[in-house]
Amino acid sequence: MRKLLAWLLWLWLSAVIVGAFLYAPLAKGFIGQSSRILFFHVPMAWVSFVAFIAAGVWSLLFLRGRDPKHDRAAAVAVELGVLFGVLATVTGALWARVMWGAYWNWDPRQTSIVVALLFYGAYLALRSSLEDRDQRARLSAAYAVLGLVVAPFLFFIMPRIMFSLHPQSVINAQGKVEMESRMVQVLLGGSAGCTALFFWIHNLRCRVQALAERKSALYE
Amino acid sequence: MAVFAKEWRGEFRTRYALNTLGLFAFTTLVVVSVSLGPLGVSLAQGTAVLPVLLWIILLFSAAAGLPRAFVHEEETQTATALRLAATPSALFCGKLLYGLTLTFALELLVTPVYVAMTSLTVKSPGLLAGVLAAGGFGLAAGSTLVAAIIAQARAKGTLFSVLAFPVLLPLLLIAVELTRGAVAGDAADVALLQLLLYDASVTVAGFMLFPVVWNP
Repeated sequence: MRKLLAWLLWLWLSAVIVGAFLYAPLAKGFIGQSSRILFFHVPMAWVSFVAFIAAGVWSLLFLRGRDPKHDRAAAVAVELGVLFGVLATVTGALWARVMWGAYWNWDPRQTSIVVALLFYGAYLALRSSLEDRDQRARLSAAYAVLGLVVAPFLFFIMPRIMFSLHPQSVINAQGKVEMESRMVQVLLGGSAGCTALFFWIHNLRCRVQALAERKSALYE
Repeated sequence: MAVFAKEWRGEFRTRYALNTLGLFAFTTLVVVSVSLGPLGVSLAQGTAVLPVLLWIILLFSAAAGLPRAFVHEEETQTATALRLAATPSALFCGKLLYGLTLTFALELLVTPVYVAMTSLTVKSPGLLAGVLAAGGFGLAAGSTLVAAIIAQARAKGTLFSVLAFPVLLPLLLIAVELTRGAVAGDAADVALLQLLLYDASVTVAGFMLFPVVWNP
């Protein structure tokens, strides 16, 4: 069953890649083929967002029940969130070079993802500097929850103070989708596929981590 | 309150934090001012650049002084006694007050000298005072919680900056924006409200998370 799901995911993501290049039309007002990177950039940014929120929720669950499983889940989610966040930043920067003429210009979205990456990088640094397992779980969970508290300022308030060149989100303030329907299909398909990919890798990593912990417990 | 009094009694005995913090802030101030050169920056550039430098000086000085509140307890192994003697919320309250007074003292010291040295003209001093008060509060609240977290880890000094700066960055961006407004003579706007909202959320988060961080 697991194997079948993994193959289905592979098929799905391959279909998204083919669709991004052959099926979806080019967006209006974008230079050349540059709008195609969107089909990879948006799902990655979305997944890193999901991963960070999930890490916060798992940290909260850990603080309530003190179940080591939740701590592991939070840590793995942060690792994957950082990975997808870096990918989203790089694809975004490439696109910005084509459209805005510079890889980097401190657009509010660029600012907020960099601060998020700094924060979760700090989370991983904190984890690696604590040796006692209970202490590490407790302190890093508290830090992750603090991140949940600060994040709204980064994602919702800051973009309003600062001027942004970033294209509107898929669903903008008016709640309307202003995009060709084939583009929307590929974009949503890609986001769903990447989210499934995230949870799949997350599940694998958590199981590997649990086995590694059991193994090291045997030697103690 | 007892914790707050204890902190300051300890502080006046050694004057470690006050002296080093004051000197650190002053040194940074001199470095910034000297680097800007005898002519300073032009008026137009000044409005853009000087508020940023002021907040960077404040941030780094706070990072140099504030983590000591908890690191000191772990180093002298008085943390366990404190755990027995005070409830977590009373302790957090005391440490937060100590951090607040320290930050405000720092701002009172740094800001006038900075304004004089860079010959910055502030058109709305009231707003500047408000920003410094609200910004200082957020700085102290965020730093106190992070200090409690890193006190139990290795490599405390570097770790504090790494952990605290991403948390404090939204505060810093809003505060810089507001300080620019104060220099240019704008009236207080919605950003001040956002700053207060940040202070409130970080303080509440501090009170809720501190028991978890403090008690093993």
